[in-house]
Formats: sequence, C-alpha cells, structure tokens
Amino acid sequence: MKTRNILMRFACFITLAALLHSCSQEDSINNATSDSLDQLNEHVMPDLSGIWQAVNTASWNLEGHTASKMPVTAVLGALGGIPAGMSVVEDGEIPYLPDALLQRDTNRADWTNLDPVAKCYIPGVPRSTYMPWPLQILQTDTEIFVAYEFGSNSRTIFMDRPGTEAPIPSWMGYSLGRWERDSLVVNVTKQVADTWLDASGNYHGPNLMVEERYTLIDENHIQYEATINDPDVYSRPWKISMPLYRRIEDNARLLEYKCVEFGEDLLYDHLRKDYDGPKALDGSLRE
Amino acid sequence: MKRTTSFLFVLGSTFLIAPSYGDVPVTKWGKPSLQGNWDFRTVTPFQRPASFADKEFLTEGEIEEFEAAIIAGREARAVANFDGEYDQRDLDVGYNQFYLDQGTTMTTTMRTSQLIYPTDGRMPAMTQRGRETAAYFRALQSRSPEGPEDRNLYDRCILGFNAGPPMRSGAYNNIMKLVQTESHVAIMVEMVNDHRIIPTNMSGSNLPDDMRLWKGDSRGYWDGDTFVVDTKNLTHLSRFSGTGQNMVLTERFTRLDENRLEYMWTVDDPEMFEDKFTAVVEMQLTDDDVFEYACHEANYAMPLMLSGARKQEASGEDDDTWLPSWSR
Repeated sequence: MKTRNILMRFACFITLAALLHSCSQEDSINNATSDSLDQLNEHVMPDLSGIWQAVNTASWNLEGHTASKMPVTAVLGALGGIPAGMSVVEDGEIPYLPDALLQRDTNRADWTNLDPVAKCYIPGVPRSTYMPWPLQILQTDTEIFVAYEFGSNSRTIFMDRPGTEAPIPSWMGYSLGRWERDSLVVNVTKQVADTWLDASGNYHGPNLMVEERYTLIDENHIQYEATINDPDVYSRPWKISMPLYRRIEDNARLLEYKCVEFGEDLLYDHLRKDYDGPKALDGSLRE
Repeated sequence: MKRTTSFLFVLGSTFLIAPSYGDVPVTKWGKPSLQGNWDFRTVTPFQRPASFADKEFLTEGEIEEFEAAIIAGREARAVANFDGEYDQRDLDVGYNQFYLDQGTTMTTTMRTSQLIYPTDGRMPAMTQRGRETAAYFRALQSRSPEGPEDRNLYDRCILGFNAGPPMRSGAYNNIMKLVQTESHVAIMVEMVNDHRIIPTNMSGSNLPDDMRLWKGDSRGYWDGDTFVVDTKNLTHLSRFSGTGQNMVLTERFTRLDENRLEYMWTVDDPEMFEDKFTAVVEMQLTDDDVFEYACHEANYAMPLMLSGARKQEASGEDDDTWLPSWSR
C-alpha cells in the first residue's frame, strides 16, 4: 500500500505540472476519466519481478513430518536424509476422500519409484513454487513469465485473456491471472494428472483446480497461498500458505538444473551396457 | 504498447517525450518492444545452395519460384511409395512429411541463404581440432548406445535441435516466446521447453570459467535500438554445428516493424572453425501460442533405443544403422 500511495502522489505531481491545476490524491481520482483510472491502476500494481525461493520442506511433504531416511543414506549418509518440517496445510492435514487416502498411502509406500519429479518430470503447480530451487518472475502487463530453475521449466500467466480455456492439458496447466487489490490471483486448470504435490505421495486427479495468490507483504517477501480443489480426491477445497523469500544477494541469478541427466540414472540405468546393479558414488559395486 | 498510445498521461506528457520509432512498438521505459511470440520458420537454406553461386539476393519472382519448388517437392514426397526393404528414407528420419512444420516461405531478407558471412554464404572450414572433435562425436553416436550419454542432447531432451543458442529453423516447433522487462529478457523456445533469462544491462559478473551451462551464460545490453546478447561458458556437449565449449555467440535482436524481428547472430570459435560465421533471419510476430513441449516426459525413444541395443548385444548382432541415412 505504501508503494501505491507514493505512486499516486507522483502521478498527482506530474498531472499538476502538466495541467497547471492543483489536486489532492482524492481529487485526482475523482476527476480522472475511467480510462485514465485504468492506466493509473495499471501503474501501481505491485511488481513481483525478481528471484524468489521458498525456504521450507514442503516439497518433501506438505504435511508436518519428522526427519526420516531416504534410500540413498547408504551412499550419502547424513546428507541423504529428509529434513523435518511443519505443515503448510491450513488445519494441518489434507482432507482426502477415504479411497483417495488409500491411493496416497500406496504412492507413499513406493515413492522413490513413483514420484514424477524423481524422474525429472515437470512438477506442475503448485509444487514448482516450493521446490528447493529458486524461481524468477518477469512481470509485464499482458503476461507474467515464471521461470523455474528446476528443470529449466517455466509457465506463462496470461493477464489479458480472461475466460479462455486451454486447448489441451499440460504438465504446468493453463494459468489465467488477475489483480485483486494488491494480490496477484492465478487460476490454474488443465494440469495432467501425472504430477504430485510433494515427495510423499500427495496427489491429485485430472480435475485439479488451483487458485494461487501472490501478495507482496514487503519488499523482500511474497505471501504465497494456493487453494487446491479436486472433488474426485478431496472432501473439500484446502489451502497451503508459505512465504517466498527474495534472493537479495548481489549475484543472485537463476542457474540451470537441467535434471534430465540425473533422472536418466533412475529411468535408464538398468538399460546401460554391462549394467550390474547400483553403484556407490566412486563407481564401485556396493556390497 | 504502441508509441501512439497514451501511457504518458500518467507520467506527464509535457516533459517526457521519447524518440520516435515509426511502426516499432515501444516499452514504457523507452526501448523498442521485442515482446511477443515469434515464428522463425523459413525455407531459406542455411547455407547458400551451389545453384545460386555468387548470387546473394533473389528477386520476388525468384523467391516465388523457389518456394513453389519446395512445396512441390513436399507434395511429391507425401504421396511417394517407399519400399521398406530398400528405402528407409521416410522412416529413419523419425517422422514422415505429415509431422514436419518447416514453413513455406523464405525469410523476408530476400537472401539466398541465412548465412551472410563468410560472404559466399557457406560455413567456414573447420580446424583440425574441429574435425577431430566432430569425428569423435560422430563415432559415438554411430555406435549402439551403451547408455543415454551416447546419444546427442536432442535425443536426450536436454537441448532443442532448433533452440541453440543460436536459434535456427528446423523440422518443427520453430517458435519463440520473448518476455521483456526493463531489467531482464526471457527467451523460451518451444523446443524443448526451456528458457534463457538475460539481464539487459550486463549487470553482475560473468560466470567463472569453470561454471558451464548447457545453454551458456547470456548477458545483454542495448546498442541503440538493437538488443545484443553475448553468450559464452557453454558445455563441451552444447555443440552447435560443430562448435565447442569456447564458442562466443553474439545475437542481435532488432524490431523492424510491427510484425518483424530481425535476428542476426555471429559465432566466433577459432578453436573449431577457421573463421567466424554470421546468419540473419527475420522472425514473424504470431498470435499462435507456444505450447509446452514436454520432451523428456514423453521420451519413449530413449528406453526403446537402449532396450534394442541390449537385445542386439544379447543376440550377438552388430548394427551400424544408429545414424539416420540422411546423415551417414
């Protein structure tokens, strides 16, 4: 809001200089035509541009969890554990329908083989937001481009085509954005059913609808919320929320995490010539 | 936003007048707008065909004739009866004519080739090291693949065959999204659904020499009305037409008018080539969307190739057909 007031005052000053009559902030708004108000609004929207990153463990499990082993602890030791974390789900737990909860548990039991992200598949929305890699927002009036370091993935949030629908489903879905006061609200539809919400088997179906809300709460923090609705899987819509932190270091930038070369080991290792089972990091066969 | 629109109302038009660019849309901060989805399909040959010899430009009539010949060739190919036993050409390219989307028109430069330097429109000679390196990769990709790393980066869905950098019209998905803010430009090519984020003011320092990226380290600046992007720090596998990891790429983006974006690039790689080479095309603004080309997610070819290779090994078969016939 502070930014809005400053910009409104600046607009008044400019108008004063240009039109040679005085105006208060209220006078300016009252006297402006609706067209000029639209333009004024266009110029005072918060600018979300920058490099942001979630600092939590939601990508491992949206719900509260204690630290646990991963299969790679035999190779990586303490580096291969899953860190503990508090739930980012409003009310703590995801409201699964009974059959869907069984499916989640089935997923969880074999997650290292089933989690699409382990294979370097596109994480979808909202999971891309809270993966432990940064994202970069480029904000323009007509579209907002969100680039993710993980997989060099991206998506476009269309700001100028309300009411349209995606021609085909996709991994990232179809994102339509609008401003509600100082919040960017994004409706994401038409995501393929192949993505998960985290590495703990939490999942959705083909009728997933996600409403994201990005609110700049100060210069370096976005409050991120996502309301997740899929009547085939959940008993009611439910919400996650977390802050996103601006990467403020001078040399902050999005690098590449083109994970294909890592996913290949999971997907194709057994198809390599002379494959003789998983190896330790030094290439030797493990006992 | 067009120059003629009234966004300056808010900023006070009496004392903030930006220079005129004619039909070129301009950003709020006074630079030519490059934003949009850009179609870079073209049937203009990358290198000048021998039939054009020293001819650099074509007349409108010659262009119509050239385009008609291309279309006629495709139509003939589409209805040709291929003999599977003796002629694999329609199969081992991976796609038949139905799936190809290479455009039907020459680029509006009216040139006989995309390459404009060397002046004969042909690629410069490779150095000895360039030839040796090319031979190594050719041998690697000719053999029965021992693992995914034996295949090229396009088969592995790590880079797009037409996305470079630099971008060059290929078999399909010749479309680029460019998103522009005052501080950054994002370039996302449909093939293969990845991006470059380019600072517009050369801000920050270049990556150290030992940090190598598949698409390189790109930094941009404005040279008058042209956005210039310098890219280096590529990997030794990011080979563009035989370049190596020390290639320095300079791309120049110039908005010519409402619908055209001139894209000129120069590769400088004295380790692999005896001379620089430069190409230019004019991309066309399009209303088409850039779709999500989820290449790796649907890469059925890789496990099938590896499975096939393992089966051949098990049965003691040799196979020298891992390169398509057109590249042997």
